[in-house]
Amino acid sequence: MIKKKICMLGAFAVGKTSLVKRFVKGIFSDKYLSSVGVKIDKKKVIIEQQEVDLLLWDIHGEDEFQKVQRSYLRGSSGYFLVVDGARRATLNTAFTLQKRTEETIGKVPFVLIFNKWDLKDEWEIDDKTMDDLSKDGLMVVKTSAKSGQGVEEAFLTLTREILEA
Amino acid sequence: MNTKGHKSIAFGELRRLLVGPEQTEIVQLKERLADPELLVKDVSEVLPEAIILRSSRDKKIAKALEPTIEEAIRASVKKDRRALADALFPVMAPAIRKVISSIILKMIQSLNQALEHSFSIQGLKWRLEALRTGKPFGEIVLLHTLIYQVEQVFLIHRNTGLVLQHVTARRVAAQDPDLVSSMLTAIQDFLQDSFGVERGEPLEALRIGDRSVLVEQGPQATLAGVIRGTPPADFQVILRETLDDIHLKQIGALESFDGDATPFEPIRSQLEDCLQSQHKQKKRKTSPLLFILLGAVVFLMGIWLFDFIRDYQRWAHYVERLRTEPGIVVTTIEKRSGKKYISGLRDPLASEPAKMLKEASLEPEKVIFNWEPYQSLYPKFQLTRIKGLLRTPETIRLKFQDGILHADGSASYQWIVEARRLVKSIPGITHFDEEKIIHIELRDMEIIRERIEKQFLLFRTNEAEIAPGQQNTIQDLVANTKRLCSLAQVLGKNARIEIVGHTDNTGSEETNMKLSRERAHNVLSILTSKGFKEENFTTVGVGPKEPLLEEATEINRESIRRVDFKVTLTDKPKEGVVRP
Repeated sequence: MIKKKICMLGAFAVGKTSLVKRFVKGIFSDKYLSSVGVKIDKKKVIIEQQEVDLLLWDIHGEDEFQKVQRSYLRGSSGYFLVVDGARRATLNTAFTLQKRTEETIGKVPFVLIFNKWDLKDEWEIDDKTMDDLSKDGLMVVKTSAKSGQGVEEAFLTLTREILEA
Repeated sequence: MNTKGHKSIAFGELRRLLVGPEQTEIVQLKERLADPELLVKDVSEVLPEAIILRSSRDKKIAKALEPTIEEAIRASVKKDRRALADALFPVMAPAIRKVISSIILKMIQSLNQALEHSFSIQGLKWRLEALRTGKPFGEIVLLHTLIYQVEQVFLIHRNTGLVLQHVTARRVAAQDPDLVSSMLTAIQDFLQDSFGVERGEPLEALRIGDRSVLVEQGPQATLAGVIRGTPPADFQVILRETLDDIHLKQIGALESFDGDATPFEPIRSQLEDCLQSQHKQKKRKTSPLLFILLGAVVFLMGIWLFDFIRDYQRWAHYVERLRTEPGIVVTTIEKRSGKKYISGLRDPLASEPAKMLKEASLEPEKVIFNWEPYQSLYPKFQLTRIKGLLRTPETIRLKFQDGILHADGSASYQWIVEARRLVKSIPGITHFDEEKIIHIELRDMEIIRERIEKQFLLFRTNEAEIAPGQQNTIQDLVANTKRLCSLAQVLGKNARIEIVGHTDNTGSEETNMKLSRERAHNVLSILTSKGFKEENFTTVGVGPKEPLLEEATEINRESIRRVDFKVTLTDKPKEGVVRP
C-alpha cells in the first residue's frame, strides 16, 4: 500500500471541490475550506495491481483576497491545476500557482485540468490553446465534475506520472 | 486712472483664465464640505474599510469604541433587559447547561470518591501520606486517581502529513487515520502560519471537550496521542522518548519515505506500548458504600411503596365495604389537599363509618364524612325501629318478614294490648302474629294455683281448731290467695278455692265426717277474717276417705289430719274482654 499527498490548486470557483466530491471518501465538512483553508479527502486508485491511496489536499482558491498557504504544498508528490474552461483568467491564475508551487516544493508531476466540460458552449478557451499546451509537454485533461467525465482519467494520469517519477 | 482700471480688468481676466476651473471646483468642494448630509454620505462610504484598515494596524479603534459600546450595552439593558438576554441566549444557554452538568458530574464523582476515600484502607493510607508530605488531601487523591485513556497514537511523516503508523485502543471508534493525520498536519501548518510562529516551534497540545491531542515533533516525524480525560504530566515525556527512539532506529526509513509505510510495521508494538502502559492506571471502582447508600434508598423506597400499595388496597376495601354496608349510600368520594371527603346518606342505625375506618387500619383524621340522615328499608333496621317503638321487653323475640311481624316469647297482657294498637300505626306491617306469645299473668296464675294446692294446715287428734305454730303457712296462703284473686281479675276469670277437710281413720265414720267439715269451716273462717269474700270459697269434709291409707301409722295419721285446697278457674262471662 502506497500513500501519496496530492494538492488541488486553482483559482476561486473553478470546481476543485466539486471535482473530488463525488469520487472520494471524506469525513470533513466543506466549511474547513473557508476556515482552515484546506480540506482533505482520500481516494484509492489502482494502477497495474498497485493500490495507491491519494490524500487530496483541496486548497482554498487563489484570488486577490486569499493567497495559497505555501506550507500546505509541502510534501506533495504531485498536484492538479484546475482551470475553469469558461473563464480564461483562471488559466493565468493556474500558471501563477504552478510557478509558485515549483518555487516551494520543486518540480513534481502535475496535471492541468480544464473543468466544466458540460458548459462547453460557453468556453473561452479554445481547443487550439489546449493542444498547444499539450504539445509543450503538459498533461491536459478535460473534465466535468457534473457528469464525472474525465475525472477518473485525471486521477489515473497523475498517479501514473507520480509513480514513474 | 484709466490705464490702472484697464490693467485691473485685464488681471482679473487673466486670473479667470488661469485658475477659473480650480476656483469653481474649490467652491463646489466648499459647498460639499458645508453640506452635512453629503458629508455623512461620503463618510459612510468609506467608514467600514477605514475601520478594517485601522484595526489591522493597531487597537486604537477598539479602545476608542470601548466606552461607547459599554454605554450602549448598559443603556440597552436599562431599556429592555430581554432584548440582550434573547440575543445572548443561544450562547449562554449551552454554556450554562454544560457548566451545570459538569458540576453535577463532579459532585457525583466527589461523593463517590469521598465515600471511597473516607472509609477505605487506601483512603486512610492517602490521609497518612497527606500528613507526612504536608500536601492537601485533595491533591494526594487527585494524584492517585487521575483517570484517562490514551485512545489513539499517530506516527506522522512530518513533510507529507501521511500516517506512518497508527494504533487504537480497544473499543475506541476511530476515523480514517490518513485523513485525521493529514488534517492535523494542516491545522498545525495553519496555526504556525496564522500566528507567525517560527518554524520548528511545534504545536504541543490541542484540547476539545474532554479530549486532548498531545503532539511531539521530531525532525522527520511527528507523534500525536489522542487522550480522553486529563493526561498525566509524564505522558508527554513518554511520547518524546518513543519518538526519539523511532528516529534513532528508523532514520533511514524516515528519510527515504516515499509513500510506502510498510517499513514502519515493526514499530507498531512500540506505539501500542504508549496505549497499554497508560492502561494500568485505569482503575475505576464504585465504592461499596455507594451501593449500600443506593440499597438503603431502594429499601426505603420499597417500604414507602409497600405502605402506599397497602394503604391503597385498604382504602379500596374500605370504600367497597362502605358501599355494600346496609343503611349507607355513598354519593361522592373526593380527594382534596391530602384529605378524603366522603358524602352520602346514612341511616342512624347503620354501622359507624369512623369505627369501620379504625377497623380497616386507616387514619381517621385523613377522612372527613358528610352524612345526610335517612331511613333505610333494610329489614334489620326496620325491625330495630319497630322494637324501639313497641318498647319490646327482653322476653319477646320479633321477626319481620313479608310485612308480617311475628312475635315469640312471653309478655304481659298489657304489653300485648298496647302492641296491637301501636302496630297499626307503623308503616309496612300488614299483620301482627302474636299466637306464640305466652301471657305472663296466665303463667303466674298457674304457678300460684300449684302453690296453693300444695299447701295444707295440720290438726291434732279429734280437734277442729288448727294446730298451733302454723302462722307462716297461713300467711303464705293468704298472700297466694290474694295474688290469685288479682290475677284472675286481670285475666277476666273466676277463681274458686275448695277447702277440703280430712281426718285420720280412728273413731267412727260419722264423727270423722263431722270433724272434717268443722276443720274446713274453721279454715274458711280464718280466710274470711283476712278480708276474702266467702263466695270465692267452698268447704267440704271428706273424713278419712281421701287419701285412703291401708296401713296407718302414727306419722302418716298426723299428716292426714289436715285441710288442703283445690283451685278451680272458670271464665268470667264479662262484656269487653275478648281473649284471656
